[in-house]
Amino acid sequence: MVFIFGVNFHEQKLVKKALESFYALGPQTSARILAKYCIHPRAKIGTLPPKTLTALTAELSTMTIEGDARRIIQENIKRLRDMGTYRGRRHAMGLPVRGQRTKNQTETARKLNRIERRG
Amino acid sequence: MSAPNCLRGLVRPSATIPISAPRTAAPRVAPIALVRSAPFSTTAINARRQDPNQQGGGGKGHVRQGKKLKLGKFKKNAVESKGKPPLPGERKAYRKRITLSNDNAIPVPWLKDLDADDLASAKNIARVLALPEEVQDQLRASEAFKPTQCWGMFRKPSLLVRKESVDLMNRMQASVDRKQTLRLVVTGDKVTGKSMMLLQAMAHAFLNNWIVIHVPEGQELTTACTEYAPIPNTEPVQYMQPVYVLKLLQAIKRANEKILAKTYTVSGHPELPQNITPNTPLLALCNAAKEPDSAWPVFQALWNELTAQGANRPPILLSLDGLAHVMRVSDYRSPAFELIHSHDLALVRLFTDALGGAVHFSAGGAVLAATSRNNAPRSPSMELSLAQREAEQTAGKEAAEVPQKDPFFRGYDDRVEAVLRSVQVLRLGGVSKLEARALMEYWAASGMLRATVDEKTVTEKWTLAGSGVLGEMERAALLTMRI
Repeated sequence: MVFIFGVNFHEQKLVKKALESFYALGPQTSARILAKYCIHPRAKIGTLPPKTLTALTAELSTMTIEGDARRIIQENIKRLRDMGTYRGRRHAMGLPVRGQRTKNQTETARKLNRIERRG
Repeated sequence: MSAPNCLRGLVRPSATIPISAPRTAAPRVAPIALVRSAPFSTTAINARRQDPNQQGGGGKGHVRQGKKLKLGKFKKNAVESKGKPPLPGERKAYRKRITLSNDNAIPVPWLKDLDADDLASAKNIARVLALPEEVQDQLRASEAFKPTQCWGMFRKPSLLVRKESVDLMNRMQASVDRKQTLRLVVTGDKVTGKSMMLLQAMAHAFLNNWIVIHVPEGQELTTACTEYAPIPNTEPVQYMQPVYVLKLLQAIKRANEKILAKTYTVSGHPELPQNITPNTPLLALCNAAKEPDSAWPVFQALWNELTAQGANRPPILLSLDGLAHVMRVSDYRSPAFELIHSHDLALVRLFTDALGGAVHFSAGGAVLAATSRNNAPRSPSMELSLAQREAEQTAGKEAAEVPQKDPFFRGYDDRVEAVLRSVQVLRLGGVSKLEARALMEYWAASGMLRATVDEKTVTEKWTLAGSGVLGEMERAALLTMRI
């Protein structure tokens, strides 16, 4: 088990997948991080030297990921709501924001559209 | 409270009556109500009720006999255990295993082992010869055998000596006699035996005490599946592949153990983890690489020793299969997120420099590469260069017939063209009928071809195989066994 950015990963996990498990870190960013530290895309976490692991943790700590990224999104939604926009109201009601119909399925909206958005 | 208990006392003793309430409320009547197992029963229903394995079925009065409609059968069967799953890497090892002998095949009495000059003599054309045990081990160590080849069907691994193989061995021999380096690319259509030609060249080299360095798959170097790291103090930056190089070093060590033990260093290498002094066997130098970190410096030291001028060195064969993969931009990315050209990978560059003629071996040698038709990326420059070289060879330097670049196409690569500017090209096609017959006689003698080998069968299979393409002949005759 190896720690990256305070999270415990199995040694057989791909480094790319481990990086992408952080909120707001997708394929584009993970590919760039891998290239920056000369890690090939199919590398497993167990093969990384400790020096690279600490460098990765340091790199991740400078980025806006996880809690910071979530807070930014929540603030954006809150701003819409405070201005009293239609989008803000729809978020507050947990309904679709972009003009979708609400006759049937609004599962995604019900899950995501709220003021204190989780994910 | 007592009334229900009294009424219950009149009922026939049975396990179905709920007994929890009476037990707490009125223990006096419990002995009667608690009789659960009758010594025998007279009806099927009672027998069923007293069966302890039947859960919850007692309450219903009627039990349906015979077949029942079973709904949702897929869900219920899903819990069956499927045994232990294979360990990590086990499936791949099974897929990539190489079997070199088959005890059920008939031993061929007239099969002769290869000698040092057998592959170079024209009298052996259209003969099948076996690989000696020692050479088998050496070839296996350098991963010359491939899982797609049909070694596992015969008693001993053996080779068909073709006209082209004798031609190639003679060219290799001639270049060694002149202390020069033969630089040659083996190309040809699908399954015409390009990898097999490399294997024959390697067998010849092993038998003649050459040092053989073989890269079994070009794609392993460039498809970004092995570790890489920039080499400090290189401009432009080159990249080493430490894990792959360590594997390659160990393969070189195992395959060339005897010769490396008899070859000595000419200069010291104090920068390596073990201090290597002059006059150390090269085997000890190879052994200095224990960790991936030290693999590339050790390999470089070994290469410098092998190419040292004026030293007493055996001839060297450097070979690579799957040339197209190392003649393109690799899948690796530099720290600036730009794709790395394959020729910036240090090991690939070492090979391409040698193929381009920048390296001189003191005792001569050969740099061979084989193209692949099955799993090869498009490499327009390589295709064009090989076509040009071939046209020049056949037409005797007549420029009119040589194919030219398409002026409206941008995908050409100057670095690739520079490497392939002066190589020789050996094009493989189908074998002659004589060679086909020799091969089929060997198959028949091994019991793998259940047919009389006569003019008619040979012609039939030769024609079916697109005028003697060896892999197609195998498919037509060997792999469709109708016993």
